[in-house]
Order: sequence, then C-alpha cells, then structure tokens
Amino acid sequence: MMILYSILILAGLGLVLGLMIAWTAKMFAVEQDPRVEKVLSMLPGANCGGCGFAGCADFAKALAEGRAEVGGCPVSSKEAKGMIASFLGLAVSDSVRKVAVVLCGGSSSLARKAAEYNGISDCRSANLVAGGAKGCRYGCLGLASCARVCPVNAIEILDGLAIVHPELCIGCGKCVKACPRNLIKLVPENAHVHVFCSSRDKGADKKKVCDVPCIGCRKCVKAAGENEMLVEGFLVRTNYEKPPANDLPVRAGCPTNCLQSGFPLAYLKKQGGMPGEKEEKVA
Amino acid sequence: MGKDLLLITVGAILVNNFVLSKILGICPLLGVSKKLDTALGMSGAVIFVLTLATLVTSLFFKFALSPDSALAKATGFNFDFLQTIVFIVVIAGLVQIVEIIMQKKAPKIYSALGIYLPLITTNCAVLGAAVINAKEGRGVIESTIFGFCSAVGFALALVLFSSIREKLELARVPKAFQGTSIALITAGILAMAFMGFAGLVK
Amino acid sequence: MNFAHDNHIYFYGGIHPDDSKALSASEAIKDAPLLDKYTVIVGQNIGAPPKLLVKKGDTVKKGQKIAEPAGFVSVPLHSPTSGTVSALTDIVGVFGTMASAVEITPDGKDEFCELQKLDWETATPEQVLAKIADAGLVGMGGAAFPTAVKLSPPKTKKIDVLIINGAECEPYLTADYRLMIETPERVLRGAAIFAKVLGVKTIMVGVEANKPDAVEKLRNAGADKFGIEVKSLRVRYPQGAEKQLIYALTGRKVPAGGLPMDVGCVVQNVGTCAAAADAVCEGKPLIERVTTVTGSKVARPGNWRLRLGTPISKALELCGGCKDGVAKIVSGGPMMGLAQISLDTTIMKSSSGILVLGRDEVAQYANQPCIRCGKCVDTCPMELMPGPLSLYVENERFDLAEKEHAMDCMECGSCAFVCPSRRPLVQHFKRAKAEIGAMRKARAAGAAAKGGKG
Repeated sequence: MMILYSILILAGLGLVLGLMIAWTAKMFAVEQDPRVEKVLSMLPGANCGGCGFAGCADFAKALAEGRAEVGGCPVSSKEAKGMIASFLGLAVSDSVRKVAVVLCGGSSSLARKAAEYNGISDCRSANLVAGGAKGCRYGCLGLASCARVCPVNAIEILDGLAIVHPELCIGCGKCVKACPRNLIKLVPENAHVHVFCSSRDKGADKKKVCDVPCIGCRKCVKAAGENEMLVEGFLVRTNYEKPPANDLPVRAGCPTNCLQSGFPLAYLKKQGGMPGEKEEKVA
Repeated sequence: MGKDLLLITVGAILVNNFVLSKILGICPLLGVSKKLDTALGMSGAVIFVLTLATLVTSLFFKFALSPDSALAKATGFNFDFLQTIVFIVVIAGLVQIVEIIMQKKAPKIYSALGIYLPLITTNCAVLGAAVINAKEGRGVIESTIFGFCSAVGFALALVLFSSIREKLELARVPKAFQGTSIALITAGILAMAFMGFAGLVK
Repeated sequence: MNFAHDNHIYFYGGIHPDDSKALSASEAIKDAPLLDKYTVIVGQNIGAPPKLLVKKGDTVKKGQKIAEPAGFVSVPLHSPTSGTVSALTDIVGVFGTMASAVEITPDGKDEFCELQKLDWETATPEQVLAKIADAGLVGMGGAAFPTAVKLSPPKTKKIDVLIINGAECEPYLTADYRLMIETPERVLRGAAIFAKVLGVKTIMVGVEANKPDAVEKLRNAGADKFGIEVKSLRVRYPQGAEKQLIYALTGRKVPAGGLPMDVGCVVQNVGTCAAAADAVCEGKPLIERVTTVTGSKVARPGNWRLRLGTPISKALELCGGCKDGVAKIVSGGPMMGLAQISLDTTIMKSSSGILVLGRDEVAQYANQPCIRCGKCVDTCPMELMPGPLSLYVENERFDLAEKEHAMDCMECGSCAFVCPSRRPLVQHFKRAKAEIGAMRKARAAGAAAKGGKG
C-alpha cells in the first residue's frame, strides 16, 4: 500500500510540474536565435564553466553572437568543434590545412647583432628599444613571443631563431599576430619551399648583417616553373598559390642557402644533414 | 525566536559556511570563480534559488513529508523517505518555471542571473539546505531564513575566492601548481581561515 | 648637496639621482665647424612628418624651407646650411626604426637665405604666432611637440600662466643651463614673445636650485622688465616634467589624462624660448640647437651648438672621440633618453644630449620578480602603481593596465631607479602604452564603423 502511495505521490508531482512547465513555456515563450539551440546541442553539456562563461547555454549564445571562439571549450572533441565552427560559418572553407612558417633564417650564429640587449625577454618589448638588437631590422629577434602564445608548443627557438614545426601546427594564427616583425605567415601545408628571409634591404646591405639572406639573384626564379617564385623588390617569395616542387632548392643552387625546403639552414645543420641532402634522401 | 534566528544567520553565513566548512557547492566555486563579475552573477542566482527552494521544500515537508504532516495522518504512513527525490523534482521544476517566466517578464534580471539558474538547480548546496532543514525539523520561516543566509555565506565565499583568483592570475605560480591545483590550495587556505569562526556559535 | 629654494609645494614622489652635471657644466657653448655632409631627418616633430619640397640635385640656402607642414600638428623643416641636396635616403632614426632623411652637401659658403625679421613689440600676436610656426619650432626639452600648436589653445581653455621650464632635472645634461647663463636675455625675450602670443600676464621661470647662477643671471638680465618671475625649485627628479613643474609653481594639478591647458597653463622649455627669440627678432628658423655631449667615456665633454643633421659620430669627434670601454650611447639624458643602435643617427630638434656610458655604469641585471615592496609606488610622480602595472603587462592584461592609468606614465624612470629587484619597469610601460594605444585605435575604428552603419 505504501509503495503504491509513494508511486502515486511522485507520479502526481511529476505530472503537475510537467504540465506547469509546459504551460509556462507556451505562455512565456521568448524568441531566440535558433542557432543557439543548435550550437548548444553540439556542445558537451557538461556545464563545467571551463570556457569562462556560465555554462554551455551561455557559451553557445556567445558563440552565436561572435563573442567567443569555438576553441574556448576545453571539453568538446575536435570533431565537435569542427562541426560547430562549420555550422556557424567560422571555419575556413578551403580544405587545405594552413600552417605557420617563420620567414627568417638568421639564427644567432648566422646573423650578426648590432648591439647587446639586456631587457625584457619578449620580442614585442625588445622591438620598442631601438628596434631590437639584431643587425637586420627585419630579422627574427628570437625572444620567443611567438612560442609563448602557441597553444600547442609547435614553435621551437633554436639558436635565437624561431622555427615552426608544421606537423604540430594547428594554424591558429596566434603567432602571426604576436610577431612584431611580421615574419610569420600562414601558408598551405603542401608548400614546402620557403625563402627564409624577409629583409627588404639591398642585397649588399643584407650580406653585411647576415650569412643567409635572400640577395635577389633570381636563380630560383629561373629554375622554378612560371610564376612559382615571385620577385618583390630585392626579395624573392614563394608563390603560395602555386608552390614549386620540393626539390627546387637543390636545382636552383641558392648561393646563400636562403631557399630551403621545410626548415631553414640553421635547423638542417643541427639535424646533421647539409642543405639539399635531406631532400635527395627523401626522393 | 529572535535569538534563534540570529544564531541561524551567523551560523549559516560564517560558522557553518556551506562552501568552506560543509564543502557543499564546490563545483560553482571552482567553475565560476575566474572573474569577479561572473562570481557576482552566480552569487545572486544562488541567493535567489536557495531562498525560493527552501521556502517551497519546507512547505512540502510540513504538509506532506514530515511524520506529523496532514498527509501522514490521513494515510497512516510516514513518507519522509521520499524527501530527497521529492525535493529534487520540486526544486528543478520550480526553477525551470521561474526561469521561463523571468526570461519573458524581467529580461534584465534574467540576463544578470538567469544564465546561472540552470547551473545550480540541482547543485548539492541547494538540496543540502533543504535536507538540513528537514533534519533539524525547522518551520517554514526558519527554513527560509536559513536558506537565504546559507546562500549569502556561499556568495561571500565565492566573491572572496574569485577576487583572490583574479590576483592569482598575475602571480608566478610554479608550473605543477598552475590552474585548478593552485585554486584548490587557495580554497583550502580560505577554508582554514573560516575555521576561525568556529568558536562564534556553540 | 642642499640648496635653498623658493617653492613650498612639492610634487609627490620623485628621486634624487647623482646629477653628474659637473662633467660639462663649466664648458661654454661652442659652435661646431661645418661638416662635409648633413643628413636631416624629415620627421622630427610629434604629429605628421612634414612634406618634402626639395628633390635630389636642388640647391638650397641656409635656412631655406626644405619641407612644409602636412597638417595642423606638423612643422616645416629648414636647411642647416647652403649647398645641394645630394640624396633623399633612409637612415636609422633615434627610435631605432628607419626614418626618411635629406642629405645635404654644403657648398662651404654657409649663406643664409633672405631672413624676415619682425618687431615683436609692435606686431600683432597672430603675426608673431605665424612667424613661430614658420620657423619650425618644436618643444626642445625632448618631446618635440610643435610650439605653435601649444601656443594656440582652443578658445574654451583660458590660459593665465606661462611657465618657462629651466629645471633641467635630467642628470648629465647642461645645455639649458649654459643657455641660461650665457644668453639669459634671449631666453627672457622668448618668454615675453610667448606671453604676448598667449596674452598672459603671469610668467614664471622655474630653475632647479642646483643652478643658483642661472637664477641670478636671469634675474639680472632684466626679468622684471618683462614681468617675469624667476623661481628656484627644490632639486628633485623629475622637477622638469610638465605636470610636476606646474604643480610646484602654481599648486594646480593637471587631471589624469589631461593637458596643462586644462589648468590654464602653458609650459615652454628655455631652449624653445631662445629659439623663438631668434626666429622672431632675427628671422632665423630652427636649424641648430645646443646639445650636451657628455658621459664618463667621452674624452672632452662639452656643450655644442650643432646643426640639425649632424651625425652622432661627428658630434663625438668634436669632443675628442670616445674612450675605451663604451657600453651604451644614449640620445637624451640617462633617465629618459633612448639607447642608440647606430652612430649614423643625426641630431634632431629634440636632441638635448648625447651620453656615452661605460660598462660599469650600465645596468646588467637579470629581470627579477617583483617583491611587492612598494618603493615604486612611493616614488612614482604620477602617483601610479608601477609594480602591479608591470605584473599586468607581464601577463598581457593590457585591459587592467589601462584601467590603472598606464597611459599616464611619462616614462621618467623613477620607479626603475628605485626598484630593488631591478625590474625593467619603464620598458614594460612602453609596451603597455603601445598596446593600449593600438587597442584604443581599434576601439575607435570599431565605434566609427558601427556609427557609420547606424
């Protein structure tokens, strides 16, 4: 008998509350951005507050209004994030993954310094003091501002030069914003050949401060296919819309070893392989 | 009566602080304490929900669930074993209704508090307050005051903690302690500080 | 040393560094011989850099306008000597970034172009102001703010006090001091000219009390005749900072983020006064300035009248070159000056000094954590909290830094001077100011875009 009463009490309570909620929801319905519902259903629903918002619903709203980034949710899986991003039209539509690359090859041993720097170990701060200590005013300062903002630790500082490991890079572009010298570019993953120099000075001036500058000799332009390498003043650039073949550095015979496939000279030296050899082994 | 209420007030806010001495409601303490603004919003929501929940559950307890309620007398059975489940259903349903109404009728309050409501409907602090009230056999007024004061105690702890965390963000914390671990250590130290209030009420 | 001083209102905080002025204080100002090349940096003023009027191969006369102002906050630029424009190039500027410059090869005649004199006592204030604007005058204490702009405050601001800044509180520098004792009448005449333009009756010259002879010279040179009060001030860095000087002399506090004109004051440097006197009474545009070349590693420290476009290396040669063991070359004083990366940088209108320091005088410390001792808070003359501010910057919380008025920092360096952890506080604030500036710009652009849509 008692069991029956208990069941009746709970069932009755549930029914009454359910009806009340249904009624109020109808009576007091508020029109909402329909996307919020959808996004909310794609979020994990853990309501952990890890995103800094008050639960998933608030986060979903912020996402729909563009106040938050999909990456802000620490719980949901990569696929779910991708789904949300594509649903909200945040994702880049092209299918080629983009990775960052630091277009400077002037490590401490290859590029000269104009002065000693004894201040805050941060590129953006150093750049405010006489434009940094590096002889080349376009070169990498090597104080790791980019490495510190990288969420996946894909940037290594090797001998005073920042190097992006493309296999780890997620192409978030945070390092691009962090670099005061605008050396970092987001490029398609399938482009391996880079001119590791961003100096717009004349070739002779670059030579004075660096062992591996692009001197604009155009050997690579001639060796590459049409429009694969672009000339910009005293500097040659890879055309990332139409990247050249990976063996271009070997064929072109860059006199300063500024043109490399994958990594700058400083990194290849550390790996033991002299420039060019690595690509041959792969081939 | 007056003295009792004073005891309940001081006891609930300081001595038996929900968060720091009863360890109830730890989830929002860690989750929503990164910024003072959100902590304040959460505190407001908790005060609202706890007061409302203790009021309604104590009514239920008085008229249906306690051994000498009207229902118990009418049927001859004692239904107090249904406490927990009834309290949860009632609180959850109630908050849901209030939230919907608020969204329509008072959008300003909703935008300040409403978003936190679903987070705490089934929080242990809310249920805890209702259960403690039932255990102590408190009347409706006492229960409601206890609920309100517990929530104020919760708010106090949350605001203190979030202010500390805002400062903590600027400190150089060893790598192993960064994030939640230093937050938990801080919460522990804060709890120890609150132990100092233990002698205030016998 | 303790000097008797006139003022009884003291600004908050400040420091008392060793002034090291004895190195060059007794050296009379000397004229530099004509060089074989001058490289005049085009953008020498705060605001828009002027627009070039010459091209390669043009012949110019001394004092001829080679660039005209490009906007309201801008000044013209004049040739330092007669000769030909041999190139338009880029050189490393005083901030370490590239700056466009005009290279002038002198013909050796050093001929002035036709100079238009003006009798300032009979001319209208508008005429005098136009003359000052045309002479390319900027604040010569170091900020390089166009003088004519400072002298034309908006109608809503009533100016009643003109303050002439002869404090020269930066250690080592003696250029203003020499100017005051050698040609006090030029300084006073310049002050009177400014007063006429502004239409103010109260003129005060503030000189730090460690230069009693300058005070005396100014008083004897007829300060009373012009109705100018010469006051000696407590020796305390940064006494010569605009807001601190106004407070010490008038007791008026410039509000946070405000300008001196908000409290009815205009402050001009003594060097600017002398240049204004030359510009109006003799018609000479601003083409040279007194610069102190000093420091323990300079063979013969001294005060030189250098033309704009003189490379730092040549200025050092005039002083017998550098001794061994040079670690740092600074443009300006040791507190607020800028470390130089190249000796090809040339003298600008704002170059008050060139300082050469040895290894043992240059800070070589690692960046230690803040121990929260609060010394910087006691010291900051702008009454900010440098310690917490630097923590905000280290954590890249520029929003908090902005809330705590990082933009009010004038980079005087007092906090870094007293910090026992030797934290590079000023560098942190430079970063903060740059970031907050960018943030504000983005916000303004966002607001404008919104406004445009709405």
